[in-house]
Amino acid sequence: MEKKPKILLVDDESAITANLAPILERAGLVVAVADDGEAALQKAAEFGPDLVILDILMPKMDGREVLRRLRHDGNWTPVILLTQVGDSVERAMALEEGADDYLNKPFDPHELVARIRAVLRRARPGQPPLSTAARLVCKDLAFDRRSKRAWLAGEELTLTPKALVLLEYMMTHPDELLTRERLLDVVWGWDYPVGTRATDTRVAELRRALKDDAINPSYIETVPGQGYRFVGEVRTQDAA
Amino acid sequence: MRIYRPYLFPALLILLGMILSILLWIGALPDLLISLRIDLGNVIFILDLILAACWLALVYTRSRSRQQAVARVISQAADEKRRFLRRLDHELKNPLTAIRAGLANLAETHLEDLQRQALASVEAQTLRLSRLSSDLRKLAELETRPLERTAVNVSEMLQEAFTLAQDQPNAAHRSLKLTTPQAPWPLPSIQGDRDLLFLAVHNLLDNAIKFTPPGGTIEMRGFEDGSALVIEVADTGQGIAEDELAHVGEELYRGRGARGIPGNGLGLSLVQAIINLHGGKVSIRSREGKGTVVTLKLPVN
Repeated sequence: MEKKPKILLVDDESAITANLAPILERAGLVVAVADDGEAALQKAAEFGPDLVILDILMPKMDGREVLRRLRHDGNWTPVILLTQVGDSVERAMALEEGADDYLNKPFDPHELVARIRAVLRRARPGQPPLSTAARLVCKDLAFDRRSKRAWLAGEELTLTPKALVLLEYMMTHPDELLTRERLLDVVWGWDYPVGTRATDTRVAELRRALKDDAINPSYIETVPGQGYRFVGEVRTQDAA
Repeated sequence: MRIYRPYLFPALLILLGMILSILLWIGALPDLLISLRIDLGNVIFILDLILAACWLALVYTRSRSRQQAVARVISQAADEKRRFLRRLDHELKNPLTAIRAGLANLAETHLEDLQRQALASVEAQTLRLSRLSSDLRKLAELETRPLERTAVNVSEMLQEAFTLAQDQPNAAHRSLKLTTPQAPWPLPSIQGDRDLLFLAVHNLLDNAIKFTPPGGTIEMRGFEDGSALVIEVADTGQGIAEDELAHVGEELYRGRGARGIPGNGLGLSLVQAIINLHGGKVSIRSREGKGTVVTLKLPVN
């Protein structure tokens, strides 16, 4: 039998951990709980989790500091941040500082389970996740995370800020079904009227820039009725 | 009358100077002064003018600084309100996260029919609160996020919002119309954030449908008016009472007629915030029992 993945759940609100833990356990995960940043670092060392769910706003040491210290010590355990402030800067920072994904509170608990599964599937044990890379490369496409610039076959792409955010998220979450709602959430951070073409127009903009064919895509694939998937294999590359 | 009072004294001063100068000029003053009359007349008049100008300047600066103080108080009050809304949003998030997780656990247990019904209703109310929290965040974020401007094809955007509105189940049995000009030329495109402008129009249509009973009419119009692009969303709905009209744009305000109709009173605040960001104006005309028209005026560059 396959070993059950171990999850470290960190939040200072006991009402949240007490209610989330059983859901994760029912989903076939082993759960340990920590209620502040210092306890989280200690538990991360003792318990050896496969994934950490980390609240950002916590007393003593906040979630971002915990994440920084983990990464600084060369600990590449995948992390999902629970963001609270929810503004776009905060979300972009979450990914830059080496989180694998983030979720805005309040969220649908089943969505958390789905994200955990996706992150675990993508995780490469002991190796830095794509989200921590300074530069991502896929075929002819290169993306510099720090300067937020992208190149296709050496030529810099002119993209709107929102399209760049979308491209970054897709490249750090390759081979994952990204629903329209989720991509809207990535760009806007709040729910947007569903059924709109807001994401489709951004994806069309990306495809035009990437010279990607929607029928036979090398980068962005349409998943009919559901959303999109980044299909190319993404590698990390240290910035020159 | 009150605003003219500070200017009364400098005006009298000018008048006095002029009379004195004229008197000197025509020689209606004692002989002693007559030999000096031209120079003296001019000097008095000029001195008098300088004095009046200084006085006017003083009065003007005072009223300006008073206006600025008033504006400062108003903007401080607005800032305070935003901070309050942001804090309220923060305080909602953690309990809502816990409640939603708790309800998901409850749904997995064995429940009697009555308990299931109760659960479903609590879940629906929790989602409603989650939506409120999300809308509060939208408002807060609109304040800080830089506007991403691209050329927006307004006709096409209106058409998309209209199609989405038509597909709503609530839109059934209501007549929906969209008019955009083709002749002499179609609507110009404007520089703006398409997603946000779409959200504004979507919210207005949503409101119009919500407040219009079956059999009613909802019309959306786009046209050009001088250097502005105008979008109107009109309905034959229940209308807004005169005494409430001034308040409908306030955050969380819900009119008497809105009771029993889903919503949280943030829709129009969002529309206002979005249109303000684009340098435009929102106005509302309404007659109770007749209908409402909301007008968006956006600058064309």
